[in-house]
Amino acid sequence: MILLKNGRIFDGRTLASACEDVLIKDGVVVRRGSGLQEEEAEIFDMDGKIVCPGFIDLHVHFRDPGYEWREDTESGAQAAAAGGYATVVTMPNTDPAVDNPVTVEYLVARGKKAGGARVLPSGCVSRRREGKQLAELALMAQSGAVMFTDDGAPVADAKLLKTALLYSRDLDVKIMEHPEEPSLTAKAHVNEGVVSASSGMKGWPASAEVIDIQRGITLSRETDSPIHFTHVSTELGIEAIRQAKKEGLQVTCDVTPHHLSLDETCILVSRFSSAYKVNPPLRTRKDVKALWDAIADGTADAIVTDHAPYHMDEKDVPFQEAPCGIASLECSVAVVLDTWLKLGEPVTLEHLLSLFTSGPAALLPRPWRSLGVLKEGAAADITVLDLDAVKRVDVNEWKSKARLCPWNGEMLQGWPVMTLVEGKVRMNRLEDGE
Amino acid sequence: MEWRHKDLITLEGWTREELHFFLEQADYMEELMNRPIKKVPALRGKMVVNCFFENSTRTRVSFELAEKMLSADVVNWSASGSSASKGETLRDTVWTLEAMGADAVVVRHGAVGVPDYLSKKLKRASVFNAGDGTNGHPTQALLDLHSARKRLGGLDGAKMAMIGDVLHSRVARSDIQAFRKMGVTVTLSGPATLMPEDTASLGVEYVSDAHEAARGADILYFLRIQRERQDDGLIPSIDEYHRRWGATDSLVSAASPNAVVMHPGPMNRGVEISSSVADGPKSVILGQVRSGVAVRMALLYLCLGGAR
Repeated sequence: MILLKNGRIFDGRTLASACEDVLIKDGVVVRRGSGLQEEEAEIFDMDGKIVCPGFIDLHVHFRDPGYEWREDTESGAQAAAAGGYATVVTMPNTDPAVDNPVTVEYLVARGKKAGGARVLPSGCVSRRREGKQLAELALMAQSGAVMFTDDGAPVADAKLLKTALLYSRDLDVKIMEHPEEPSLTAKAHVNEGVVSASSGMKGWPASAEVIDIQRGITLSRETDSPIHFTHVSTELGIEAIRQAKKEGLQVTCDVTPHHLSLDETCILVSRFSSAYKVNPPLRTRKDVKALWDAIADGTADAIVTDHAPYHMDEKDVPFQEAPCGIASLECSVAVVLDTWLKLGEPVTLEHLLSLFTSGPAALLPRPWRSLGVLKEGAAADITVLDLDAVKRVDVNEWKSKARLCPWNGEMLQGWPVMTLVEGKVRMNRLEDGE
Repeated sequence: MEWRHKDLITLEGWTREELHFFLEQADYMEELMNRPIKKVPALRGKMVVNCFFENSTRTRVSFELAEKMLSADVVNWSASGSSASKGETLRDTVWTLEAMGADAVVVRHGAVGVPDYLSKKLKRASVFNAGDGTNGHPTQALLDLHSARKRLGGLDGAKMAMIGDVLHSRVARSDIQAFRKMGVTVTLSGPATLMPEDTASLGVEYVSDAHEAARGADILYFLRIQRERQDDGLIPSIDEYHRRWGATDSLVSAASPNAVVMHPGPMNRGVEISSSVADGPKSVILGQVRSGVAVRMALLYLCLGGAR
């Protein structure tokens, strides 16, 4: 039994003003209230910190199977817990790709033994992510796949995407689309804008994102099926989704901590550090503002890391030769909170926290949706936040195998200090600030 | 003037005063080139490695001549048939060269950001950018400044028309930066498909009509057109390109009477430049090549401590 004393409880929707206690038994929240007593319980004093439902990250790359030198399920799940996440959804662009129920079951089993965050795999939309033939969607859903996506790339063929939207309609598992029109982004390295102009590297135009989003929206309307767009990075992409939502379509999206906090000029300021190379690329300041507006007006449903680790030997090379990907699981919550504070709190804290909790939970299959709330009877997945904690990002302390990070060495304010997964303490830094 | 630069990665951080000072040093170096015995002992005992990951004749030879005229010890390292072809990483290669005692690494590479990367990795040796992908070619910009200034006198207030494939040109990027810094107004011209998306962010104007760009210009700068641009579908044909943007006598006559014609080489005669212009009285193209040696001598001399 665990008793969390004197925390301000955020239940997934609202943040209580007074402090309360939470009692956890057998992996479940059994009571919430003030002045709770339980002799046998291990007691943790929250000292006014914010007690939230366990944070959920719908988009991580754990590189397992096939690229375990970059990350594996164990290091990834532990990194997630260390970063304040209780649940993560892994992407299927592995080798072999997660396009069959056996690989889904392998990942579920690996996740259970990892001793970190809960690992929920996603499966591919198409076999080998080739965009030619539908993967075994229903069998993968039965085995535990919680999303279908060809992430790393868009679903290559419009007809196949339409088929997948129709076919998955009764499976209660959403299609997650990586919005990118590949003919416009071939050989691109940076956003199309000041950096592509000044360096001559080929640019990723905003149109590449918008065209694919419009394709998905059109097919979602035609099939009456939900579609989720991940790591939306442009003002135009957000606007397309905003209009679709106004129309009442089942369209949702997420945004990432790096697109909320960094822009393309970081590449020039850092003199082409490959830490800033990512797909979709860092965009303009105007786009960053548009993403915060999307959070404010409910266009964005979740914040996801798109944690994309590489080995230092692969990533610490000249910019144009480096692979795309930012690894951020262990600092992303702090990056978002710190940026939110520096911007003067552009949205309410409650709303911001919902994008880590009830927002992403609502996009998961039914059995997992209660992960987004903190209430009696729910699984004891809990993330504790200390908004006053100030700490330097240090990649050498990471559980993740990645060692290159845009924020390494930076002081950030607002950190997760405790993670519980099904009532088990997976991260505890309550004492660090004392 | 106390020279504060150890490397040359980009001219971005150089002031106009530094450029003036530098060009005067280059004038002095060019005088040395006219002497019957050209070699001076300024860099005796210094070891310079020319690391060329991309093919280059004029830039490599120009650097090598500059190094030898200053009496540096020169090693030419090329990517083919070297440890790079055995899978060695770039940083291991340069660390190895530094461990052997290299005082400077001159690097040409196809990827943007390589000189930046090497200057962060090397502890002691100077890094000189001899061209990184489409990003920059700062010694080309210095030699272009040197030869334009020699012919025109001053550069402040001059007008330059830069015509051709700006999109893929590292020369264009470095020259725009350097000439603007010296007070030159730069106008670009060429097919819109061969221009960067955001020309305004470079501080230049773009007009598609080459004659309009050339009108009254003091410097006409023609960039190379690679034949593969036609295969890429960015221009319909080389012939159509030549008729609209090629350096013809009629286009050159639109410029100021004292204008100079420049080209970074190697030239595609009949494509971006006709022979009558390349070999005509306004052309300073061979002067550019000569300036190349002089500015590289000045660069090595100043940055490798010959001045102290």
